[in-house]
Parts: sequence; C-alpha cells; structure tokens
Amino acid sequence: MTDVIPEVVRFAAENTKEVGDVLGIGTDKRTRWARGIVERGPVDGTIFYAGEMYPVMGYSEGAFRMLKRVEGLMSINDLAKIGPIMRALGIYTVSINALWGSINRKYERALQDAVNVLKALGVSLGYLFEDEPPSGVALHTYGLLREFKEHADWVHRRLRGLGVKKIITLDPIVATAFRLYYPEFVRDWSIESHHFVEVVADRMAELGLRLNLGRKLRVTYHDPCYLARTLGVVDEVRFILSRVEGVELIEPARRGVLTGCSGDGGLELTQPPVARKVALDRVEELSKTGAELVLTSCPACMLMLRTGFESIGQSVDVWDLASLLAEAMNNVERGESISPSFRRYNVFPKSPHFRSLSLRDLSEVLKVETDRCKKCGFCNVECPTSKAMDRLESRSSRGRVTLINSLVSGDPVRPREVLDRLYTCVLCGRCSQECPAGLHVQELIVYGRAYSIYSGRIPEELLD
Amino acid sequence: MSDENLRRFLSELSRKVDKSKIFTEPEELYSYSLDASTEFKQPPAVVVRAGSEEDVRAVLELADRNRVPVVPRGGGTSLTGGPVPAVPNAILLDLTPMNRIEVNVDDGYAMAEAGATVLEVDKACRQYGFFFPPDPASSRIATIGGAIAENAGGLRGAKFGVMKNWILAMEVILPGGRRVRIGEPVYKWRWGPDLISLFVGSEGTLGVITKAWLKIYPLPEKVVRVLGVFDRIEEAGKAIAQIRRRGYVPMILELLDRETIEIVNESLGYNIEVAEAMVIADVDAPRESVWRIAGEVENVMRECGGRTSASDDPVEMERLYMARQGAYAAVTRAYPGVLLEDITVPLSKLSTALKELDDIRKEYGLRMPVFGHAGDGNLHPNICFDPRDEEQLRKAREMFLKTGEIAIRLGGAISGEHGIGLAKKELFLEEIKAVRGEGYVEMVRMIKQMIDPNGIMNPGKIFL
Repeated sequence: MTDVIPEVVRFAAENTKEVGDVLGIGTDKRTRWARGIVERGPVDGTIFYAGEMYPVMGYSEGAFRMLKRVEGLMSINDLAKIGPIMRALGIYTVSINALWGSINRKYERALQDAVNVLKALGVSLGYLFEDEPPSGVALHTYGLLREFKEHADWVHRRLRGLGVKKIITLDPIVATAFRLYYPEFVRDWSIESHHFVEVVADRMAELGLRLNLGRKLRVTYHDPCYLARTLGVVDEVRFILSRVEGVELIEPARRGVLTGCSGDGGLELTQPPVARKVALDRVEELSKTGAELVLTSCPACMLMLRTGFESIGQSVDVWDLASLLAEAMNNVERGESISPSFRRYNVFPKSPHFRSLSLRDLSEVLKVETDRCKKCGFCNVECPTSKAMDRLESRSSRGRVTLINSLVSGDPVRPREVLDRLYTCVLCGRCSQECPAGLHVQELIVYGRAYSIYSGRIPEELLD
Repeated sequence: MSDENLRRFLSELSRKVDKSKIFTEPEELYSYSLDASTEFKQPPAVVVRAGSEEDVRAVLELADRNRVPVVPRGGGTSLTGGPVPAVPNAILLDLTPMNRIEVNVDDGYAMAEAGATVLEVDKACRQYGFFFPPDPASSRIATIGGAIAENAGGLRGAKFGVMKNWILAMEVILPGGRRVRIGEPVYKWRWGPDLISLFVGSEGTLGVITKAWLKIYPLPEKVVRVLGVFDRIEEAGKAIAQIRRRGYVPMILELLDRETIEIVNESLGYNIEVAEAMVIADVDAPRESVWRIAGEVENVMRECGGRTSASDDPVEMERLYMARQGAYAAVTRAYPGVLLEDITVPLSKLSTALKELDDIRKEYGLRMPVFGHAGDGNLHPNICFDPRDEEQLRKAREMFLKTGEIAIRLGGAISGEHGIGLAKKELFLEEIKAVRGEGYVEMVRMIKQMIDPNGIMNPGKIFL
C-alpha cells in the first residue's frame, strides 16, 4: 500500500501508536516528572492524565529550534526518515535526551505544579505512570481517523480496566479529545474529562480561596484555542487570576473565544516555517500588552510562544497558569464559598454527522457540507495561516474548503496535493466562527484529510 | 486560443515575472474556480499573483501578444460570476498581493492599490476621523479593484451612492501592457469624455485597475437608529419613499420582509417580533439636531402605519439591527441553494415592486425573503431552493428572470450593485432591448474593440 501522507506525519503517527508520543521518546522519560509527586492511581476513580505532549514537549521544542537551523538544508520529511534509523541503532532516545532534556524540565515542572495545586485544593487523584495510554489525538489531528478509532477503542478498554472514571488534564487538546472526539468514535464512552483550569476554578470558588503571589506582576494570558473556543472555557481563567493578589492581568487584543492562534495545531510538524510566522504575529500582539510574564494553558502554545519570543529577541517568559498558581499557593486565605457563573461558550456550528469512515460515507457528507459554502471568504479574513501564507487561496480557509469539494466531486485534483494544502490548517476554528453558512470548517478539514488519505492509498498491485 | 499560445505565454512570462508568482498545479487552479455566486465553476489555466504594476503590465503585454484571455480577480466575492473564467485556458490575475493604502487627509483622499480590501481602506481613514462610505457586505474581503470593476454599493448607498461616486482618479493597465492614468487626485477637474465612468462597472472587460485615489468623508458626529415595524409591506415601501421624498437622507435605509424575519428566527434561534415588514434607518447628523431629525423620520414611518422605536445606545442599536445583520447568514444556513437577486426600482414604484414580488412568491411556492437597501430603491430577493430538486431549480431560475422583468417594467435596473457577469447576461439583453435603444450594444462593442482589439479581457462577460 502506498500512502499519500508525508513522512513526518507517518513518523508521528507510528510513534503515537507504538511508543506513545509523537517524537517516540518513550514511557520512561514521559513518566519521570511524576516520581515522588503523585501516587499511582486512580484514586476515587480519578486520574491526572499527563498525555503524550506535556511530559515530552521540551524535546519537541528542541527539535523545532533545530529545524530552523537546518532549514534550506533538509526538509522536515527528510529528518523524519532519520528518526527510525537512529532508533534501530539504539541511539535515538539517548541523543534526544542529551540534546534537549534540559528544555524539557520546564514542561515537566508545569505538570508537577499542576498536581501540587490540585492536591493543595483537596482534589483526590492518582497517576497511571507507564499504564497511561496515549490519547492518540495526533492521529485525529492528522486525519488518520480509522487508526484513531481503533486506538480510541483500545484506550477506552484500558482505562475502564484500570477503573478510571474521571480524567483531569493540563492539556486542552487531550481534554478536547476525551470530551468531544471519544464520545463520537467510541461506543459507550462514559469517562468524564476536565481541564485543570475548570477544576481549579470550581474548587477555588467552593473554598472561597484567595491566593497571594507575594510580589507585583503584570501578566497577560494567551487563551489556547482548544480551551477557549473548542471547550468554551474562558471565564474560569479570569476568575482564577482575579483571586491572586499581586497579579495584574492585561488582556491582549485577541482574547477569549476570539483568541489568536500561536501556530501549533500540528502545523509545527507539517509546516514549521508557516507555524513560526503565525507565532510571530501572536507574540508581537502579546508583547504590546507590556506584560512581564505570558501565561497560557497548553503545552503546544507554550512551545510556540517561547520560540516566538526568542525569535523577536524578547526575553519574555511563558508559563503555564499552573506554575503561577503553584507559586501563589504558598500564601492562601480561605473565605466564604462563592458561586460564580462560568459561561460555557459554544461558538461552533453543529458538527456534521458521518455515518462511517468508508470512502462513500465520507465523500457523501463532505460533498453536502462543502456545497453549502457560499465562497464569501469571511473565513479567510481571520485565518492565521492564510495571513502567514500571503493569502494564497489554496492555503486559505475558503480555498481548502473548495479543494475538499473538488476532491469529492471528482475534479482532477490529487489527494496527495489536496492533503498538503489541508495540512496548512492549524484547526484553530476561527473560520467556523465567521462562517455565515454555519460550516464547522475545522471538522471538515479533519475529515477532508481523512478522505484524502484513504482515497489516495493505492494498493501495491495497481502500482505497476 | 491554442495550447501552443498558452505555452508561449508561460515561457515568456517566466522570464518577466518571478516564478513564485505563477501557479499551474490543478489544486491552485481549482481553488480559484468559483466566486460567491457559486453558480459557475471554471478553473483557469494559470494563476498569476501580481505583486506590482510591472507584473500586471507583463501579463497584459504577453497575453495580448499571444491572444490569451485574462480574468482579473480581487477577493473573489462577486455574486454574478465576474472573476470566474467564462472560457477555458484563461489566465487568472490575482491582484490581492497589491494592497498598499496611503491616506492623505490634507488633500482629502485615500490611495489604494487594487488588492486592498474595502474595509482596510475604511479603517485606515478612521484613524483620522474620516471614513470610506461604500460598504458592500463583503467589504472585509472585497477589494478596491473588484469593487470599482463591479461598481459595488452597500448599506450606506442610501446616502452615499456606489463606488463610482467616490473615485477621483485611477490607474489602469490596458491590453498590451500600456498604463493610463485617468482623473486627478483633486476634487475638481474636467475633461471629457469621463473615462473613469467607462471603467467603473466594466467587470474587467477593458483593462486591469491597479490603483485608485478615493474620496474620503468625515465621520458622522452622531447616529441614531430608528426602527419601524409594519403590518403591510406596501406601507413600509411607502414610508421609505416618503422619507426620501420629504428630504431626509439617512445614512442607511434598509427594508426586511416577513419571510426574512421568520428565517432569521428559525435559522439563528432569535426571537425577533415577526411583522410584515421592518424598516431600519440610521439618521446621522450633528449632535444638536440628530434627535429632532430622527423624530421626524419616526413621524413619517408612523404616518405610513408603522410602529417605531429609536436609540443611540450601542447595545440597543445592535438589537434593532439583529434581523438585518443576520439575514444573509440565516438564509445561507437554511437553504443550500439561493439565487440572490439585485434589482433597483424608482422609489415611487417601491410599493408596487414589493407587491409584485409577493405575487411571484405565491405563484411559484418557493420561499423568497426580500431584504435590501430600499432607501436607494435596491432590493435583494433571495430565491431559496433545494439544488438537488430539479423542479425547484427550474422554478428558481424562472423566478429570477421574472424578478428582473419587474425591474425593467417599472423603469428600474436589473442590477443595483452586484453586476452582470455571467448570471445576468440574459436579463441584461432584455433590459437593453426594452429601454436602451438599438445602438447601445453596438456602441459598447465598438468601445471594447478599440481598447481591447484582441478580446483578451475577461471574455464572455456582460455581452462582450
């Protein structure tokens, strides 16, 4: 079988399935942060789920920085071919750790801080260590939906077998996967999924807590699109920060459900130069707030913002909100319980319903949905990658929808090339907010990727 | 034109224009194969993204020499097929990379390159307390070049008219690559014939507009929004005509019928009071007199049978405007097939036109919400149908023609602001036959022949 997926996506997908994280770092490194911090769980059916990104994001950051240095000499797809060779030689993990292990400490620290904050708030939880199955969300992101379904079924069985009833995670992409994708792909999925911020806000309100940082600090907050737009979690962050003495929050121009993308969403792997341009746009905007510290709640956003600030020569630090709270937890005052109303924002139109992942069902729904696009182009205006790619139509939101329509309508476009354009989308969802026709554009992109991949597979016997 | 011509054109072009601006992959071509009419689909043979006047000159010189058709395109938001090639093997000239804007407040103009969006021009003027009045609904993505070529209008047309009223001067590249400057960036100049008007609305059939000097206007001191609700649509038509007849010129003067309000409620989940018609007037005037004038406009509406309310509070103003704001989105969400009409009738015939439109709706049994810029006699009946139902499609097309015939019969125009393109060729010939005299077609063809003797500019549009 010949695939149309790029080498780097194959590398990421295989690592996710076989090793448990996109770069294939391995369980030992992925669970290192938790030793001595958290007991083996679940506790009362609840686990802290680290996921496959946060524990090893520093290695991704290191690789992302290296890519910039070798740009023009090697493509990311060339590099992706080297990984398996190094692994066969037994030098892959060792080399990667030697190169980027120190960067990774910052991400590990965020996980430790999150667990410490949750424990200090009286939340019972455990951690599965090497038993924690990877969510496989990267498979979904890259449109490998049949593989994702198979993987998700396995994860479900495994989590149920371990007695997990509730997941708390610091990673909003994983929280989205468990809250939105798993119920769609897995029959009888019943495990609750919460983002750290939601749990902390609820507990702080319940306990009437006020924290004190013990110093004055001007901060800004970058709303991750998966947290703000997809999960609709916006008010909680503002509530939490309003209860931390010493913190002054200065909001950037694009915030909340209208937040701007930092360039991740898988783009950092498929189109690193474009991802960097998107990040640049965002860090310049955040920099205008004059904040001394940038806070966020997503490992991929942290990576993009950290490298983005470095590229504009600014030494602004980027922390997960959990780390700020961990610091402020040293000085806690308990008061009356309060009940703030956190609005759950629902900014996306209805999702299209796909009966199955067969080519016929995929193409039928994609055709009906993309036929509804009126080509008004409103989606292009706020599309971060359209801007980063000089508004070239095929790499803009409207153009990508047009190409999915062309592919399923039988126009002479090629699955591999369509997929290449679809991989220039960060799935930030800003387009879906703008679409007058009510298209859930980023879901169409994911399913369009799936259709491109599966319709582009050519059995070996047909190759001659 | 043969493939040989195209090959020669491409070979010569690659010596004059940077290769990164030339696209021939099918995926690029198909992403440019449609406009916002969505009715016509034709990929070009080549896309050239012009980054400078030199690029445009090179394309027009070589296309003319090799007899290759050229289709200029801005934001691709035409509703009549303007930037969709009518012939295969066309060169699509994407002007969006040429988007420089310079505002000269002292001399009262904004200079904009063809690819600058209408909204960006408006925003640039607002920094100085001025604005750019034409505001097509697509202004976020519609470009100045496209808006001039289509003579676009918009909501504020009730007071400020269409694009042709706002051009001081422009530069045009003619077939063969010659550059001409028409007009001067001053408020008074005279020589004839008026060549600006020749190019305005020419839909890319004569040359490529690369740059324009546009009049700007001081921002209104104060705006009060008046809403009138009517039990009979003819009363609403009468109220609009009377407001204008008595010398009031609100900045916007919009009309919506019952079906529009119902679809907005159904489609967007709103709860707007359903009435036979709604009229919205934005009265702009100096602070001291704005409420008096708004009150007088309310009086006229009441005399004609309306119930009114008025506000200058931004939140309340937005509420009054909800139905109009959501009209396009509501219709596109509810119906995958919409034929958007664009007729203009004399104000004294507005009530008659509205009555006759209702008769058409009843005769054919398809929904046809009517809304539009009735203050300048411009109505947009939206004929809704299911594109998979051939009978509905046939009915919709007949309704489209009959709607145009109303405009011709009542002494109006078959297009107020959307243009002729491919969608209205047939109706335009009807209009010509009815009112413009037998020499009209010949005269325009002679002009076309003189300027574009080889017929390379957007062939197949209008009747050229």
